[in-house]
Amino acid sequence: MDAVTLPAAAWIEVLTPSREVALRQRVAGPTLTVGRAWDNDLVLDDPHVAAHHLRLTRDADGAWRAEDLGSVNGLFVDDVRVSAPVELAAASVLRIGQTQLRLRTSAEPVPAERPLARGRPAWPLALAGLAATSALTLLELWLAETGEPKLLRYLAPALANAGLLLVWALGWSVLTRVFDGRLRFGLHLLVVCAGVVLYQAWEQLAALGAYALAWTALARTPTVVAWLLFAAVCYAHLRVLGPARLRLKALATAALAVLGITLHSLSESEARTNSGQVATLQRLAPPVLRLAPARSAEAFFGDAATLAAPLDAARSEALEGGEEAGE
Amino acid sequence: MMDRRRGAGAWRGWICAALFAAVPAAAQSLVPPPAPPEGAVSPAAERVYAAARPSLLQVRTLVEAAGRQSSIGSGFLVGADGLAITNYHVVAQYALEPATYRLEYARPDGTQGALRLLAIDVAHDLAVVRLDGAELPYLRFDAAAVAGELPRGERAWAMGNPLDLGFTIVEGTWNGRVERSYDERVHFTGAINPGMSGGPAVGAGGTVVGINVAKRLDGELVSFLVPARHAAALLERARSEAPLDLAEVRTEIGRQLLAWQDGFYSALDAGGLRTSAFGPYRAPESASPWFTCWARTNTEQRPKPRASLDGSSCSSQSTLFVADDIGSGSLEYSHAYARSRDLNAFQFATFVSKYQGSALPGGWSRKRLTAPECREAFVAPADAASAPPLRAVWCARAYRDFAGLYDVALTTVTQDRAGEALVSRLSMQGVSYANALAFGRRFVGAIAWTP
Repeated sequence: MDAVTLPAAAWIEVLTPSREVALRQRVAGPTLTVGRAWDNDLVLDDPHVAAHHLRLTRDADGAWRAEDLGSVNGLFVDDVRVSAPVELAAASVLRIGQTQLRLRTSAEPVPAERPLARGRPAWPLALAGLAATSALTLLELWLAETGEPKLLRYLAPALANAGLLLVWALGWSVLTRVFDGRLRFGLHLLVVCAGVVLYQAWEQLAALGAYALAWTALARTPTVVAWLLFAAVCYAHLRVLGPARLRLKALATAALAVLGITLHSLSESEARTNSGQVATLQRLAPPVLRLAPARSAEAFFGDAATLAAPLDAARSEALEGGEEAGE
Repeated sequence: MMDRRRGAGAWRGWICAALFAAVPAAAQSLVPPPAPPEGAVSPAAERVYAAARPSLLQVRTLVEAAGRQSSIGSGFLVGADGLAITNYHVVAQYALEPATYRLEYARPDGTQGALRLLAIDVAHDLAVVRLDGAELPYLRFDAAAVAGELPRGERAWAMGNPLDLGFTIVEGTWNGRVERSYDERVHFTGAINPGMSGGPAVGAGGTVVGINVAKRLDGELVSFLVPARHAAALLERARSEAPLDLAEVRTEIGRQLLAWQDGFYSALDAGGLRTSAFGPYRAPESASPWFTCWARTNTEQRPKPRASLDGSSCSSQSTLFVADDIGSGSLEYSHAYARSRDLNAFQFATFVSKYQGSALPGGWSRKRLTAPECREAFVAPADAASAPPLRAVWCARAYRDFAGLYDVALTTVTQDRAGEALVSRLSMQGVSYANALAFGRRFVGAIAWTP
């Protein structure tokens, strides 16, 4: 072999279905055979692979070719079935049977080294988040306390809340362990605590804002925000679980949010038409928080007078399956 | 005791004495009859019953398709030509759904036949029906009762067919007009039971003094009669005017309800408002005598409540029966004065929140009422020195069957202090929008403080 034209070193990788590297082996010579038979360079156990299935050959100018050796199931290069020998582009994925392979050569560039940016562990922040959500739970209970304050009435919900978050984070950690090999419990706990703290804060601010601005619709936003935050938290968990297929994860969680909000609004509007409930502000706040200007009684009753028209319109619209329509 | 089909929702503590569907046999308790003392049987009662019995009717509402009775009441003939009086609520099912139901009568001699509905008076719960026949026995109205001159304590006998058991006579005492009631009702101390509604109450002379209509469920022998003069007036109308067009019956009921509430709210206006002190606040109350008010307080609660609550709620008790699932005409208001003992401003706001919910009258039926619409706002008084700023909520819903009628609720909470508040609630049932706005304005305008 000529030392001046030393060919690039090559590696063959066996990939998992999600295209993570399961096995990486250096290619010793200018050819590599793959199959189930023991005389191959790379021996696979895949029952859908022929005894002698695939040969990779390096030609004189260093390019690699793949060739099907006459298998039943064939050879796919980047998901295209090939019958004649074909030259491989860099990082092409080959599929034989149910096994995916990738050939790497030393000519391929590698990304720059990523610095150890996440030096800080997630633990302290996660614990701070857990403390914050517990504190918010206690605060909510205390602001709504009109009877005798009993320690149990405060501790039980706060502990239940914290326990639930820990169990939730643990569940995600177990999943992460299965797919990624690491637990990342601290990070999962941080994610869910952040979501819950944001929700609790929004719930309180929306209630106060609805009163202060005389804008009752604001008091109904927490359910929508809850679904959005739930989807965002799930997305963040999935991201911690693994960086692959982020677009799919984002789409799935967005769909979850849309579905949740749709179902919730439907059930709310059903409740309104079927039980005649009113949607007025349930929770008042101290008068000093009032920001909206007070209107004159004349303006208020003038506004109330305008309700007669929509009510008359509702009166005349027929009920579905109504007695009169049916006869 | 009995399975009443009707009147439950709208009548609160009242029971329409008309109707029932079935009597559970187990509910009857057998009491051995006491031996009658000598001379206890009233010869007057015997005479009255014997004279009135041929004129009595049982009024039955039948499901057209099944031919079975769905509710029963009573009635009585008032003319040889077959005109008879009963209660509106006895014929309401048929009046509102003439395609589903039909009306029949049964007389004590066993004859039966169809009834035609000629006129209704929803406000006084009366109806005029006609059966085919001539030279029928009939009852006359008592002249003294029509003139309103019957003395309190006079003996009277209510007749009808209670619980479908057969025609019955019940002795009681005429107690005159119920004093604290807007609607003219006579308090009759006798047992009026479901099925007797629409039957006559007859005086010693054998003439009709009133019409059985209702009883109180929370008392014993507290029953009510419609004064005879309203029946006489309706009879005049039925004789002189064209009979009721069943296709237009909802329009007619709506017209009567609108006219009734116009009268009620003008009387309310004429009676005027006075104010009562609740802590530093002054709250409006009707000066009209027909409101029944009850006070409430939480000072007796143990452990001691962390905010005190004192209030009163008043009711006009003037609900008119319209149908099983809807009434009209009641007016209620309540005031609750809350004062914090050791709650902070947020906790006190939560405490007050519990008492400021919608005051719309209970019992919503989608078939009868539209979904409510509400408006909420902070309302500043015209004169800040004499009245506090308020948070006001106005909710209204429309009656589907009766144009121009609404249920309206108004709630206000004073917004001047962190640890004290007056919550006022006003609930108007079956009111025109203009009357509701006018009374709501007066109500809110009368909330004041004494700094």
